[in-house]
Amino acid sequence: MVPLELRLAWRNVGRNPRRTGLTVAATVFAVFLVVFFVAFAAGLHEKMIEDSVRLHSGHLSVSGEGHLENQTLEQYLRLEPGFEAALSSTPGVRGLAPRVVGFGLLSRDSTTQGVALLGVDPKRESSVSTLPDRVQRGRFVGGDAPLGIVLGERLSQNLGADLGDEILVYSVAYSFEMAYELFTVVGIVKLPEPRMDRALAVISLADAQRFFVYGDRVTEVALLAKDADASPELARRLASTLPEISSTPAEVHTWEEIIPELEQLIFLDDAAMYILLAILVVVVGFGILNTILMSVLERTRELGVTLALGLRPGAVFRVVYLESMLLALLGLLVGLVLAIPTVLYFQAHPYELTGSAMAGMEFFGVEPVMTWKLKPWNPVGSTITIFVVAAIAAFYPALKASRGRPVDALRSL
Amino acid sequence: MRNASAAMVILLMLLAGVAAGEDLEPAPPGLDARSIAEKVEDVFRGKNSYLKATMTVISPRLPTPRRVTFRAWDDRPRKRSFIRILAPAKDSGMGFLKLHPNLWNFIPRVERTIRIPPSMMLQSWMGSDFTNDDLVRESSQLDDYDHQLLGIDPAPDGDESERAYVIEYRPHEDAPVVWGKIVAWVDVARHAPLRQDFYDEAGEKLRVMRFSEIREVQSRPYPHRWSLVPLDKEGHETLIEIEEIRFDQDFEERIFDKRNLTRWD
Repeated sequence: MVPLELRLAWRNVGRNPRRTGLTVAATVFAVFLVVFFVAFAAGLHEKMIEDSVRLHSGHLSVSGEGHLENQTLEQYLRLEPGFEAALSSTPGVRGLAPRVVGFGLLSRDSTTQGVALLGVDPKRESSVSTLPDRVQRGRFVGGDAPLGIVLGERLSQNLGADLGDEILVYSVAYSFEMAYELFTVVGIVKLPEPRMDRALAVISLADAQRFFVYGDRVTEVALLAKDADASPELARRLASTLPEISSTPAEVHTWEEIIPELEQLIFLDDAAMYILLAILVVVVGFGILNTILMSVLERTRELGVTLALGLRPGAVFRVVYLESMLLALLGLLVGLVLAIPTVLYFQAHPYELTGSAMAGMEFFGVEPVMTWKLKPWNPVGSTITIFVVAAIAAFYPALKASRGRPVDALRSL
Repeated sequence: MRNASAAMVILLMLLAGVAAGEDLEPAPPGLDARSIAEKVEDVFRGKNSYLKATMTVISPRLPTPRRVTFRAWDDRPRKRSFIRILAPAKDSGMGFLKLHPNLWNFIPRVERTIRIPPSMMLQSWMGSDFTNDDLVRESSQLDDYDHQLLGIDPAPDGDESERAYVIEYRPHEDAPVVWGKIVAWVDVARHAPLRQDFYDEAGEKLRVMRFSEIREVQSRPYPHRWSLVPLDKEGHETLIEIEEIRFDQDFEERIFDKRNLTRWD
């Protein structure tokens, strides 16, 4: 047996379609926008992370202890076959790329530039980063010819060097010898991040190990995770197994630690979005309050009569409050029914930008595609938030309805 | 009453001095820190200098220390200097030419000359604990610093045969200097440099340079063995052993010619 108040509330919902429609529309609007924008931000951020991570760092980086802080050749890993096999067979690892990262000077004629000298194994590098695919002209390092070097586009311009030119690479080796070697420019890469484009030079891992007199050492192994969201979990798992599988002290870092700027950017972006959404939800909350209050005032006489007939004020409160909650639930339901398929549609069909918007995003190094990603907590969180706001908003009109004195009510209107 | 509190303050100050580990004897009055610093400066540089030396780099990373032999011509008044590497064989013939404000490095094996940019000045020279900046530094320990005599150390580095003035060097505000301060020990008898501790601007001691094997060269007490220990790198030491040193030479102009870089004998 449905309680009396609920039956009355339900009838009230059905009695005035226009009033009901307005309140429900406000809620639908809020749910739809919140779900849509949260999914858009999630998609955008995932894309930013993916692009940054695939540009260079990987989701995770295993390195010699203290390397992230010191960035010198002093902190190294020994790339023994067992170590590499143990890393690649760790569940959740999609790809791995051993690297030697050192500081070097590139000199051509009278121009000298300080760069990060990155030694990579071309085959394994493609399993983690898109570096090998970013060659604009020429080819990537590796192959049969040793001593090839690939330069960032801006770096090549600053050095005045083009394909086929010889460049002196100059540094101090791990063995404290002077390290110097002539390399031939074999390729030019375009890197979306200006800082990298100006100061990154890539050579083969074997050349780097010879150049720095580094033996079988590497400074880091970059890892790509199968699932970006699971990378902290993967990092924890690796951190516990590293002492067993690595012969030298090693540590593991997530992309948040390697590229803290990106995490901060995402945090700021999220903060701005949530503030906007909070304002939106509050505005919608007032909208709900307003429509229900209107409907209560509209029914002053009617409510007065029910009170005069002996319905207790508490029951009147419950009737009006339940009515509002039913409206909110209806709105949430309709909103989710509209929003979820829409977001899922966009998630399956990313929207490619064209024209000036495309140029703008490319400038910032992001692929000019708008993507959406519906994470499970998004509709759940949105529903709860809006329901809570509606529950608060409905309180005052319901109270107002129950407080009326029948005599005054009957006299009005 | 008043006198008692004044005495108290003095006592506290004395106690504080002892607590700070400054077990130095007070210096006799009338001694001028700058004139001592001047004598030290005179030991290292005359008008100009020529030297031949072997540098040894010691590191836990190296199974055997690395040795580099070189000749160096320093023509300080004209802000120029030249270094030729003699050994190891791989680097033999390498030249470093400083013509203010540039530093050039000629590498015979690849027949290239590279200009070392200012951003590289604090990088290691030839893999040692010395920096390129140590090589080309134009700052003067006399003119770019204020000097203060802290006292006399009766047994520097535990050596009771020597007594040493302890002088604090504080760089002038606009001096082209990377250090926050230098504390120097100077032999009381001969005014020979014994030791210099280098601090950064935060007051942290970064490296200790010790001078020994002091022998007379052209009436200067010249240290023939310099040991540099960087305190942030455990087990590291760079030794410079001077094999030949002459001051106030008539340098041939061509030594400092850029063409001379690529020509060696």
